[in-house]
Amino acid sequence: MSAPDPWPPHRDILTDPDAPALPPATPSEPSTAPAVLVREAADGDHSAWCLLVERFGPAMWATARSYGLSGADADDAVQAAWLRLVESLHAIRDPRGIGGWLVTTTRRETLRLARERRDVQPSHEPADLIPDPACEDAATAVLDADRGNRLWLAVESMEEPCRTLLRLIATAPESGTHQLAVRLGMPRGSVGPTRGRCLRRLRTLVSAEETLH
Amino acid sequence: MIDDESTIAALRLAAGRDPVPAHVVISARRAHALRAPGAVVAERVGAAAPGGVRLGCGPRLLRFAAAGLAVDVEIVTSDGLVDLAGQVTPNPGAGSRVEIRTLHVNQTRELSESGQFAAAGLPPGWFSIVCHRSAGPPIATSWARIRA
Repeated sequence: MSAPDPWPPHRDILTDPDAPALPPATPSEPSTAPAVLVREAADGDHSAWCLLVERFGPAMWATARSYGLSGADADDAVQAAWLRLVESLHAIRDPRGIGGWLVTTTRRETLRLARERRDVQPSHEPADLIPDPACEDAATAVLDADRGNRLWLAVESMEEPCRTLLRLIATAPESGTHQLAVRLGMPRGSVGPTRGRCLRRLRTLVSAEETLH
Repeated sequence: MIDDESTIAALRLAAGRDPVPAHVVISARRAHALRAPGAVVAERVGAAAPGGVRLGCGPRLLRFAAAGLAVDVEIVTSDGLVDLAGQVTPNPGAGSRVEIRTLHVNQTRELSESGQFAAAGLPPGWFSIVCHRSAGPPIATSWARIRA
């Protein structure tokens, strides 16, 4: 007799009539709100802190890597942002905006490191970036999987060279200007302006689409 | 979306091709243990030498200040490890000690009569020093990074 399968086949709980029902909402559910997690973590609850790491860590990592930092430097930038939070955990004025605060702080630390390394030209000085809890950053907004999908659908709807260029800079950040120029068959001097134009066009497409939702 | 880099970050995040490495997650979780509740944060201020600037192969000098107290730290790196020598001014009094904290190790030192302390063989990376005084809340320097 074979042992029971520890990994039963995945069942879509929304469409499979035999799938187990969703558990009912419990009173503990609101405790997952970021503001509550911040307060619990400040009071010493390590599991609340780990939930913050799980929730916002990916956006912070993507932010540091979006500036072309190496893995080791991106690691340092993300660590710095968590340590700044440790430092000011009791002083966060509006914990509801903690996601935006963490991402903005990561950007600031990334720019500081980039400036130290002098191998990345930051587009802003760190002093320009004051964490604003009211400002929802793109990387935290995209934590919503649906918005992430819409973003990529917008890329796929774009014409060349934007489609290929955006795919390359998003999935192969180590590609330098030279490699991008070769892959796209354009002069090196055109890569930067084309990149800026494609990103602006993408933002326009997404914001136009979001107004329809 | 606010600018090009945040748009790229959003694309990268949604593509899911560059997940957060496990060691980055572990460091982030570990940071929670480094809270210093009730501590007054001493920010970096101008030091005897330009703060944070590496002086060739010589020591790096940092100064932190808060609540009428200054913490000066001289940093020397050799063979990939870090030696710190510091001074708390004015000396906060008998029984005071400093805790030198990193993500990996913590070391505690009693302050000498002149307010000095030292620690050797620390890992490079982020560090902060907490001065526990006999009177008044602890003073924690803001986190600073030492490159190997």
